[in-house]
Amino acid sequence: MEQNKSGESYILEVKNLSVSYGHVNALKGVDIKVKAGEIVVLIGANGAGKTSLLETILGVNEIKNGSIHFQGREISGDSADKIVRAGIFLVPEGRGVFSSMTVTDNLLLGAHHNLKGAKSKMDYVFSSFPILKDRKNQVAGTLSGGERQMLAIARALMSSPKMILVDEPSIGLAPKIVNDIFDILKNLNSEGYSILLSEQNVYKALKCAHRGYVMETGNIVLGAASEDLLNNPEIRKAYLGA
Amino acid sequence: MEVFIAQVINGLSLGSIYVLLVTGFNLLLLVAMIIHFSFPIVVVFSMYIAWIVLGLTGNNLFLGISAGIVSAILLNIITAPMFQHIMKKRGEVDINSTMVLSMGLGMIITDFLSHSINKGFPIAFPDALTGRAEGAFLKIGIISMSRGAFLALIVGIIFVLGLFWILYKTKQGRAFRAIAEDPNGAKLVGLPILKTGFQSYALTGFLGGSTAILMAILLGSASPGLGDQLGHKVLAVSIIAGLGNLKGGLIVGLSLGILEALVQGYWTGTWSNAVAFVIMLIAILVKPKGLFGMKL
Repeated sequence: MEQNKSGESYILEVKNLSVSYGHVNALKGVDIKVKAGEIVVLIGANGAGKTSLLETILGVNEIKNGSIHFQGREISGDSADKIVRAGIFLVPEGRGVFSSMTVTDNLLLGAHHNLKGAKSKMDYVFSSFPILKDRKNQVAGTLSGGERQMLAIARALMSSPKMILVDEPSIGLAPKIVNDIFDILKNLNSEGYSILLSEQNVYKALKCAHRGYVMETGNIVLGAASEDLLNNPEIRKAYLGA
Repeated sequence: MEVFIAQVINGLSLGSIYVLLVTGFNLLLLVAMIIHFSFPIVVVFSMYIAWIVLGLTGNNLFLGISAGIVSAILLNIITAPMFQHIMKKRGEVDINSTMVLSMGLGMIITDFLSHSINKGFPIAFPDALTGRAEGAFLKIGIISMSRGAFLALIVGIIFVLGLFWILYKTKQGRAFRAIAEDPNGAKLVGLPILKTGFQSYALTGFLGGSTAILMAILLGSASPGLGDQLGHKVLAVSIIAGLGNLKGGLIVGLSLGILEALVQGYWTGTWSNAVAFVIMLIAILVKPKGLFGMKL
């Protein structure tokens, strides 16, 4: 809450967060902050801890040390379903849609904790993603990769989240579809959703985000505005191949 | 033709019971992630509880039926923490340890029934419940049904429809199916895993208790060995349909009931089990993963 005193309001604050799986330290004292209305991207190689960080924020992993505050309230130690009800929703890596269930069922799973407004939310989601409306009675297993990614994002919207965590949305998608997905994320952000994104497509992610953090082996090694990261010679060398 | 129709109707009653048992077993497998092949033994236990309460209350049907249903729910919920303890530790379907737990539970119940109730002799349910004494309730040509059998058929079909309505049209059913397909993914979309697992214990308990009453009406009697016999059949049906395949269990369960009834109608009742198992044996040899595919 001290940030509020200085006039800035952070929707998410992660302080000194450590997580281990057995003997492996996946996160070693991570600090990140996301302002309300921001897109922030986590960049880093495979195994840097991006997915661990997102899943720990969602309440899936046991926290060894540190704290997570969402809208000024501590959520560390809460269960995933409680955190989802508080307003955070994850779009998992590899989409995580239920392929034997219909598009409609997948969307309704996103609204599991608040089915009352589901009908109007579904109309809203279908107006943003008309392709999903056309496919609403199909099982998700019959969708293309891009459609599944849209479904996973639409499912997140069904929960009326305040913050969306998006894990590697571009993985395995054709370049044109990747552009579409980033446009969707930018649009959602302009509608007021705060977004924390993990991405290996560093150039596109930084173009889309306000700020970025660089992760290496469970640590944040750098955090700065996107333009600064794009112009940083070391980042260009390590992640942009320039 | 009339024999055929009569036996198909009888088969539907029996088949609905198989469907309820198999779906209960599959739900526990898919949602609670345990192999509970002693589930039918729990059901037979509830038949005994209903019988005892009927005897104590001078055949008060309401109390007897309620006791049967409530005992199955309670037994399921009481044993749930043991199973959930294993599941929490492993986080996946752990066939070995839950199977041992289920087997142990089944043996204890069967032993208890064969030592402590009615000196181990088979129990017979009163006519007040089964309606046997009233003669035919429905009679068309040679098709005749007692009131109990008619009721069991209608209630069985309503329960099967209701169960599949819950699974495919309600919020809880949707959560059941999501956890069944991908427990980890279900966690990531914020479904309460343990709570939903617990609900599946309660629902299968209710199903088990209701099935117990239907069986009491339809069979008119029970013995300590009945649970084992049903357990084998339920396991066979669910494997032949494809483990965890709910719709497959519906089709194979009903078919098995009709098949057994037809064998009884055209040949002899004493061979119906053997014929059923021979056909199931052929099915599993031709399609080792089940007729409709495993969903696990």
